[in-house]
Amino acid sequence: MKITITIMSGVEDGNTLEYDSSRGDGQQDQGKWRLSIGRKDENDICLKSDTYISRWHANIIYEAGHWLLEDCKSTNGSFLENPDDFFNDIPIQDTVILNTHQLFRIGKTWLRIETIE
Amino acid sequence: MPNIELKDILIAARQEAYRMRHFYIGAEHLFIALLQIRGSLASHIVQHYGLTPEYVINAIRRKLGKGGKHRLWADVPKTPRAEVILSIANDLALDNGREQINERDILIALFEEYENIPMRVLIALGLNNPRELIELAQNTATHSSSQQPYIRIDFGQHFEPTDKLSRDEAFILRRMFYGYSQIRVERRLTSGYSSATLLVVTPIHVDKREDAAVIVKINQVDSILDEAQRYEAHVKTKLPPMTARIEDKPIAPEQSDLAGIKYTLIAGYDRVPKDLRAIMATWTPKDIGEWLKNELFPPFSHSWWKQNRPFRFQVWREYDWLLPPVLTLEFSQKEFPSNGHVIRMPIKRAKLRRLDYGDVVAVENFIVQRVYPDRNTIQLAVGNNTDSTNAYKIEVRGVNLEENTYYRGEVVENLVGTVWQTRAQQLLLALRALEPDFDAQAEKIPINNKEKIPNPILAYEGLLDSYVNGTLCTIHGDLHPGNIMIGPNQSAFLIDFAHTRDGHTIFDWVTLENSILNDYVMSATDGSWDAARMVVNHIIKLNGGEFIDTTLSPAIARLETVRYIREIARQCLAEDDKWSEYYTALVFCGLRTLTWETASIGGRRLMYLVAGLAIRELRTRFRPSSSSETPSPDDTDMSLSL
Repeated sequence: MKITITIMSGVEDGNTLEYDSSRGDGQQDQGKWRLSIGRKDENDICLKSDTYISRWHANIIYEAGHWLLEDCKSTNGSFLENPDDFFNDIPIQDTVILNTHQLFRIGKTWLRIETIE
Repeated sequence: MPNIELKDILIAARQEAYRMRHFYIGAEHLFIALLQIRGSLASHIVQHYGLTPEYVINAIRRKLGKGGKHRLWADVPKTPRAEVILSIANDLALDNGREQINERDILIALFEEYENIPMRVLIALGLNNPRELIELAQNTATHSSSQQPYIRIDFGQHFEPTDKLSRDEAFILRRMFYGYSQIRVERRLTSGYSSATLLVVTPIHVDKREDAAVIVKINQVDSILDEAQRYEAHVKTKLPPMTARIEDKPIAPEQSDLAGIKYTLIAGYDRVPKDLRAIMATWTPKDIGEWLKNELFPPFSHSWWKQNRPFRFQVWREYDWLLPPVLTLEFSQKEFPSNGHVIRMPIKRAKLRRLDYGDVVAVENFIVQRVYPDRNTIQLAVGNNTDSTNAYKIEVRGVNLEENTYYRGEVVENLVGTVWQTRAQQLLLALRALEPDFDAQAEKIPINNKEKIPNPILAYEGLLDSYVNGTLCTIHGDLHPGNIMIGPNQSAFLIDFAHTRDGHTIFDWVTLENSILNDYVMSATDGSWDAARMVVNHIIKLNGGEFIDTTLSPAIARLETVRYIREIARQCLAEDDKWSEYYTALVFCGLRTLTWETASIGGRRLMYLVAGLAIRELRTRFRPSSSSETPSPDDTDMSLSL
C-alpha cells in the first residue's frame, strides 16, 4: 500500500511525502499500518520546521478500510478543517476518520492525504 | 497598467513574513504583498467583491497565526508552492513576450494554482469562482475605477440642513449609486449604540424617474464587511417575505476607513419609509404597542422569536459584553514579576476584583477583537471568535502598533500590562457623571420615602455566575425604534443586522423596552433624578401587574407601550410567567445604558434605577424559598447572587 501526503502550509508548503508499506515505511501490526507524525527524527512523517508540533504528535493509521488520525496528547493539538466555520478548526479528541483530500492541522501545519494506492 | 515589479513584491512579501514571524515566503506573503500595494490589481479585485484589502489580509493572518518565538533557519526561503507560483508567473510573462514578471502574472498564477492558502481564504469569504477571478485579473485595468463618478446629491425636506454628510460618506454614496444621475437623501435615521450612519436615499435616473427608496448604512469598514458576511450566513434565509434585504455587495473604497451597505425594502411602493422613532411622536402609546404586537411580532416570530429552543446558560456568556471592559491595561515591555497576576480562562472574578491601579497583569490566550491604530489600542476578549458579544473584554492601551502587528482574531498567547482602570471604577465614574443626589457607593439607593433598591453597580456581579433557563433563537441583536421601519399598510420591516445572531430570545425585547424607556418615556420628563424615581415607582406597579393611572403625566402615559412589550415578551418566556430571565437581561441592558455617552442624562439616570429595581425584583419575587427544599420558582439558580 502506498500513500502520499501533501504539506499545505508553512515553510514546506507544497511538498509531497510518499510512504510505501512494502518498502517498510511505518509500522505494521495485525492489518494496521501506522505512520507517526512529530518533530523528532524517528517519526515517519518528520516535521521539524514547526515549533508548535510535539516530538511525538499524532499518528495516521490505516485500519479496516479507513484512514484514521490519532492525536497523541500533543501540546498544541491536532485539528480538522471546519466546513461550517473556516476560521475555527475542530480539535480532535483521540481519533477521527480522515478522508482523502480532507485538510488536517498538526500544530500550525496543514496537511492532507493526496492519494492512496 | 500593472507595473509593480517582482523585486518590489518580494520585498513587501519578506516584510510580511517578518511581521508574522514566519521567516519564509509563501503564497500567502506574496498575496498579502499584492494587496498592500495601494491601487494594485489585487486590491481592485477584492473590492469588486465588496471586500477591502485589509479585511482579506486579516483573514489570511487569522487562518495562519503568527509563528513561534524561535527562528529555526537563517535565510528567508521560498516555499515549494511559492516556487511553483513564481514559475507559472514566469511562463505567463514569457507568453506575453516579457522578460520581467509583473503583478498581474503573480496574481493569475496564485488564482491558477488555487490550492494555496490565500485562495482558500478567498473561497471561504465567498470568492469561490477561480475562473471568474482569473478573467478579472486578465481584464481589469487598474487606473479607471479610481475616478470618482459624479452623481448629484440632493437633500429631502426631512433632512436636517445642519446635519451635513462627511466627504467620505458622500464618496461612498456616489460609488454606491453609480449609474444613476442623482440621489436624494431623504432623512437620517438614528442608529443604536453603534457609530453607524443610516440614511434613507431615493435614487433618480437621468430621465428623472425615481426608484424606490433604500436605506444606506455607513460605518467602519470591518463592521460593515462583517455584517455582509453575517447576513449571507445567518440572516438571508430567515427573513419573512416582506422586509429589508441586502441585495448588493458592500461598497468599501480603498481610500476610506468607512464602508457602506444598502438595504432594499422589498415592498414595491413609492413612499419614503419611516422608522418607528420618527413616527412615535404622532402615535399614542397604545397605537405603538398595538402595532408592535400585531405588525412586528407575528411576521418575524416563526423564523425568529418563537423558535423556542431550550437554552440554559451562565449569565456572563450572554451578558458580560454589555458592561465596560473588565480591565483597561497599559501595555508593558517589562519582565513579568513573580507576584504578577495571570488572567486566563476560566476567569476567576474574585481575583479580578482585587486588582487595582498599577498592578502588573499577564493576559493569556485572549483573542484580538479590535485594533485601533489611531489610539494605539487593542481590545481583547475570550471566546473563539471576533463577535461583538464576547465576554471579558480587556482594553490594552499604549501598544506600539508599528513594532507589533496585531490582527483581528489573533490568539495572543501572552501579553503583559499594568492596570490603568477597572470595570468597577469605570461604572462608578459613569454614575458620578450623572450627578447622583445620593451616595454613589452606598449599598442601597432610595427610590421613595419608604423603599430602597440595591445599587446595581455594586450588586450586579454575583448575577454573572448564575444560570438562566431561557430559550435560544435568531435575535436581531439591536432592536430599537430606529431599526424598526414602517412600510405600506403599516407593515413592519427590520434593518441593521450587524448584531444578528443566535442568542437569548428575551434580549431583543429587553433591548426594545430599554430604548423605549430611555428615549420615549424619559424624554417626556425634565430628565431629573426626581423624574427618574417617579417613573421607576410606576415601573414597580407595571412589574406587579398593577393598575397605572396614565392620566398622571405624559411620561406615565407612555409606559403603556412598555406594557405591550411585556405582553410580547411573555410569549417568549421559557416558562409561563417566569420573569427572572427578563429581569436578568434588564439589569445588564440598564447598566450598559449607564455607560452610554450618547444617551440623554435623564435616560441614563432612569436606566440605572431600572437596573437596580430589576435586581430587587430578582431578590424578592424570585428568591428561592429558604424554609423548604423546593427549588427556586423557575428553577433559575440565583443562590450565588442573593
